[in-house]
Amino acid sequence: MKIDRTEAKRIADLAHLEFDEAALERMAGEMTKILSYIDQLREVDITGFEDVAAGERTPLRDDVPRPPVDRSAVAANAPAFSDDGHFIVPKVIGD
Amino acid sequence: MTDLLQLPWHEARAAASGRELVEASIRAIDALNPKLNAFLHVARDAGEGMPVAVKDNIVTAGMPTTCASKILGRFVSPFDATAVARLRVAGCSVVGKTNLDEFAMGSSTEHSAFGPARNPWDTSRVPGGSSGGSAVAVAARMVPAALGSETGGSVRQPAALCGVVGLKPTYGRVSRNGLVAFGSSVDQIGIVTKTVRECAEILGMIAGHDPMDSTASAHPVDDYAADIEAGVRGLRFGVVREAVGQLEGEVRANFDEALRVLRGGGAIVDEVSVPTIGYAIAIYYIVANAEASANLSRFDGVRYGHRSARAKTLRQVYFESRGEGFGDEVKRRIMLGTFALSSGYYDAYYGRAQAVRAKLRADFEAAFGRFDYLLTPTTPEPAFPIGAKTDDPLSMYLNDIFTAPANLVGIPAIAVPSGFSRSRLPLSLQIMAPRFAERALFRAAGFFERETGYWRELPPLVLA
Repeated sequence: MKIDRTEAKRIADLAHLEFDEAALERMAGEMTKILSYIDQLREVDITGFEDVAAGERTPLRDDVPRPPVDRSAVAANAPAFSDDGHFIVPKVIGD
Repeated sequence: MTDLLQLPWHEARAAASGRELVEASIRAIDALNPKLNAFLHVARDAGEGMPVAVKDNIVTAGMPTTCASKILGRFVSPFDATAVARLRVAGCSVVGKTNLDEFAMGSSTEHSAFGPARNPWDTSRVPGGSSGGSAVAVAARMVPAALGSETGGSVRQPAALCGVVGLKPTYGRVSRNGLVAFGSSVDQIGIVTKTVRECAEILGMIAGHDPMDSTASAHPVDDYAADIEAGVRGLRFGVVREAVGQLEGEVRANFDEALRVLRGGGAIVDEVSVPTIGYAIAIYYIVANAEASANLSRFDGVRYGHRSARAKTLRQVYFESRGEGFGDEVKRRIMLGTFALSSGYYDAYYGRAQAVRAKLRADFEAAFGRFDYLLTPTTPEPAFPIGAKTDDPLSMYLNDIFTAPANLVGIPAIAVPSGFSRSRLPLSLQIMAPRFAERALFRAAGFFERETGYWRELPPLVLA
């Protein structure tokens, strides 16, 4: 599987990662090399195992309310937090 | 007083108070850490108890947790991870947080935002990773025990390269609550110690169900040290043919010697085939990275950690904070994982990797039908020089070729020191067992350790 610069840019957008041009070019090359190794999975006969993979489910616990984490500890870790208990972010609309 | 830390800890406990033990540990850290960079944070107010170190991707109340990443900024967890809370209840004291590859992504601790940790047997070489700091802390006798985490060998591989014991428990044996998530279907908190008995004791402290992690098993917690003295007579050990076939030189000779030790104790040792084992690294880098790409989406500059000073819009907060905060290896893995889950490639990559993983699991089940244990060396080579593999991600990944299968299959595995290379670098035997057979694992490892005694050997830097 060859990853070119355009494909690397598409993936970077999905992943919310910013790269400069040189880094994007390098990433595309490294991904191509790693995926060429991973492509050996194509040679395995997976007959009888396709459904096993789909059938796995993580067990879930009951959704029971419990005391939340202390708000001041949350505020102390936040890049920007308002006095009335909200995370502050730049404007959402207009970019 | 550093001598205290060279004793197995039941002897150390008898010889000194909890305060003296913590003080000895902090002194050892102060003396050696400038050369080894094993600790990212030292808890000078640690109080008293049996000193333990905790990998810095496991959260600790009142101390920083960095994951060796710039993106965590000055994050301090409001709570202890379940495993840490259980250690404290059992009388342990956390003396510091250990260095790692950023977000546990790596096999050398070179991918740390705070500089590489160094191997105490040769400081020009890597200690392995990603739990390199934890392995160094125990190998250099700065602490008797440390927690690490495993996704593909991140406890066993550095334990092997540093000459100490490293355990990856069964998936679900130890709660992951408070372990910063990497690959949720493969992650497991692990243990690094000098000796097998200390490892069994720590597992007894931290194992068990936890309502905060629904994958933490309700399987009863065993008396893990109960059979350590029982020997290996009549036990069946399978040597994984596909893994051993490619071994060369001194790693091969050391492994053959380990087989002789087991046979000498009356064990039955024979070859077994695990046909798909060679695909483990390929499966691992799709499955673990796909899960990582989802897990690491939470680091977005909004609720905690680094926010880019350049960001003027919300979109820029996401892209620039992550662009500035994550290192190259983390970005590479998020990119691979995002690709494998993206529309048009999901079935060909993620779906296929999961199917081959199911086949690998079936191969292991068949092998455990004939054998109580499976054996390989822990790593294909001893510690490599710092910088030797940083430009070649794939060759770095292949260092986990013998360890990653246990994570994918969910079984427990232990790395036990098995001697030294000609240049006096530690070598290691890996023993794998069926799910929840940790007690049996400690039995075999305990026998091997008693017969060989390599845990008594100390790095020159500790003796100096």
